[in-house]
Amino acid sequence: MLKQIGAVTMINLRSIPQRWGMSLATVLSVALVVGVLLGFLAMANGFRATVNGTGSDDVAVILSSGAQAELNSGLGRDSVRLIEVAPGIATDAAGDPVLSAELYVIADGRKRATGTDANLPLRGVGENAAALRDGFTLTEGRMFAPGSNELVVGEGVIREFAGFDLGETIRLGANEWRVVGVFSTGGSVFDSEVWADLGTIQNLYQRTGAVQSVRARLEDPAALDRLKAYLENEPRLDVEASSEREFFAASAGGTSDLLMFLGWPLAIVMAVGALAGAWNAMYASVDARTREIATLRAIGFAGFPAFVGTMAESLLLALIGGIVGAAATYLVFDGVSASTLGGGFTQIVFSFAVTPAAVIAGVTLALIVGAFGGFFPAIRAARVSILRAQG
Amino acid sequence: MNDATLIRKSLFRKKTRAILLVLSIMTAFLIFAVLGAFSRALNAGVETAAADRLVTLNAINFTLDMPYAYYSRVAGIEGVEHVTHANWFGGYYQDPRNVIQAFAVEMESYLAVYGELVITAGDRDTLLNQRDCMALGADLAGQYGWSVGEQIPLSSNIWSQQDGARAWDLEICAIFDAEDEDVPANYLIFHYEYFNEALAFNRDRIGWMILTTGDPARNDAVAQAIDAQFANSPAETETATEAAFGQAFLEQVGNIGLILTLVIGAAFATILMIVGTTMVMAINERTKEVAVMKTLGFSPPRIFTHVLSESVLLSLLGGLLGLGLAAGMVTAVGGALAGFLPGFRMTSDIAVQAVGLMVLFGVVTGLLPAVNAMRLNIVDGLSKD
Repeated sequence: MLKQIGAVTMINLRSIPQRWGMSLATVLSVALVVGVLLGFLAMANGFRATVNGTGSDDVAVILSSGAQAELNSGLGRDSVRLIEVAPGIATDAAGDPVLSAELYVIADGRKRATGTDANLPLRGVGENAAALRDGFTLTEGRMFAPGSNELVVGEGVIREFAGFDLGETIRLGANEWRVVGVFSTGGSVFDSEVWADLGTIQNLYQRTGAVQSVRARLEDPAALDRLKAYLENEPRLDVEASSEREFFAASAGGTSDLLMFLGWPLAIVMAVGALAGAWNAMYASVDARTREIATLRAIGFAGFPAFVGTMAESLLLALIGGIVGAAATYLVFDGVSASTLGGGFTQIVFSFAVTPAAVIAGVTLALIVGAFGGFFPAIRAARVSILRAQG
Repeated sequence: MNDATLIRKSLFRKKTRAILLVLSIMTAFLIFAVLGAFSRALNAGVETAAADRLVTLNAINFTLDMPYAYYSRVAGIEGVEHVTHANWFGGYYQDPRNVIQAFAVEMESYLAVYGELVITAGDRDTLLNQRDCMALGADLAGQYGWSVGEQIPLSSNIWSQQDGARAWDLEICAIFDAEDEDVPANYLIFHYEYFNEALAFNRDRIGWMILTTGDPARNDAVAQAIDAQFANSPAETETATEAAFGQAFLEQVGNIGLILTLVIGAAFATILMIVGTTMVMAINERTKEVAVMKTLGFSPPRIFTHVLSESVLLSLLGGLLGLGLAAGMVTAVGGALAGFLPGFRMTSDIAVQAVGLMVLFGVVTGLLPAVNAMRLNIVDGLSKD
């Protein structure tokens, strides 16, 4: 029996070139389905990786109550003082709390790709800001000098926006700035930001003394509860703390979910179309070989090998399609830089990521198409009457 | 047997195959119509923008505000017909996740600038005279099941009052809608004065201004006059048409149009290949038959028409099913999505485009087999087994 299955399968596979038109159409249509699915998954994964990579468990983000996003939040100087003495916050060698009060405004940056303006976060930070971002490194140049109108820019900004290269002078709003450094945080959200001195931003944007958020290094992740309890019981404060991981997960969920919810149904609807194609191709294959299959039956082959042979042909075509689609998506999309509007009303720069899990999902979808597409034609092949051999 | 019967018979000569082809064509047009409606809804803001309506924003970025005094200065500029101002409230109802688009506006001028909004005359009087009144968009009213007369505490994720409260108590005095379904009615507006007097910080600032010029030809001159008025002040302005502003905002989200085009293109390419190869095969199968028809005196053009009509008919059959299915789906979810995506519905222009594509699709897939059949040499055809 196994020998019969092997023989019929080889006959099927070797005769594919005789039906190259239909076979090629099947392969290409499956490839397109897998390509569309992987394109969406790569977008969703890339976006999520950027945002999740940003969240740290031992950094707390403190905003005014109900704000949810930094842009909506406002904290006065008094609030920052009260937060500085909160329990659970780590201290540096000198005994000062490791925290950074930050103010961010939105400036317009010009996108390289389209030449249109898009919102860029311009963050005013103090000296602890870098210490509160894991993996922060200056890749070029130096940090801005306190009180100056100098900028350091994230790698993502340079990739997507024009005019931010090292040493250039750029006009943001009414003010001129000089780019003195480029930093990387290893692909996190902060790579989409431009940083300057907090005091300078407060002055230029008439927000003297005001900040939006306070980031604090926690002694350990469990210290968050102590910090929360203190903030809640301090009547002079109306603020909320969350871990940085929670903060970013909440603001990113929507966009990546949207991409997933858009990508899967689309791919499934398209897969139904490709299924019809595979089905057609396999019926055509069975029809073309009716006399051959009947002859095989006449010389003693059973029906089952004919079934397996047809299924194998269908699965192989779908598999090739799946691999071609996945490979093409990987070559075209993996690592492509894109940006979209994030939770804080500003651009988040991210890279498409074609992940192994997504490739497996895509190839699985292809095989499902192949299996369904081949099933009924294979049954027909198994039932070909011996009489047809006379044709 | 007339030509129509002949075409029908040959189309369904293999039932399974015909059904599968119809299914796959249906898929392609389902995707086309649903994504088409989606993209149209996204662009509705650009398309419904009045040609003579301008938006004045802070030049640095639209999230920054400007002094209240700018309002009366703009009102005095020549060529400005009506002008109003608005503040983003950051509204939500009970839970911060129930985001509600809410604007604090100068009510009377707002209704003048957005003349397309329809409010009954009685409601309008109450709305203008009662300080804690709000006007609710019909879509938003539908979403929450609210009606005129109800009191709603509207919370803000940005602003707070002097006593620390974050919610403003508002009464629904009017529900507005517009004749054109594409005009958004998924937001609410309330009195700027009522908002401003309670503010704990940032009082007497306005978010942006919207104005009409009465004539699109005056747009440029008015825009320049406004921006010149505030040049070199702490809050410089940038004035653009409403359409340009909507377009710029859409572009920030990313290149949605390109993604949609690529997906629709991929779907069509897939189906085109499947249907095309199958049509070629189906005609090849009938080579002998075509030869017999020619022998019987069917003229080559008539055979050409037969084959082409067959593929166009197939395309129309599948395509119209897909279009119908898409219309059903869009109508089913359109109501639920009215809050976020107003104007998500099937329109006649999408349907017309789709039908045009169906015919084109049928012609493209049928052309090669039709030419082959027309050119077929009788002797060759008959000798084929």
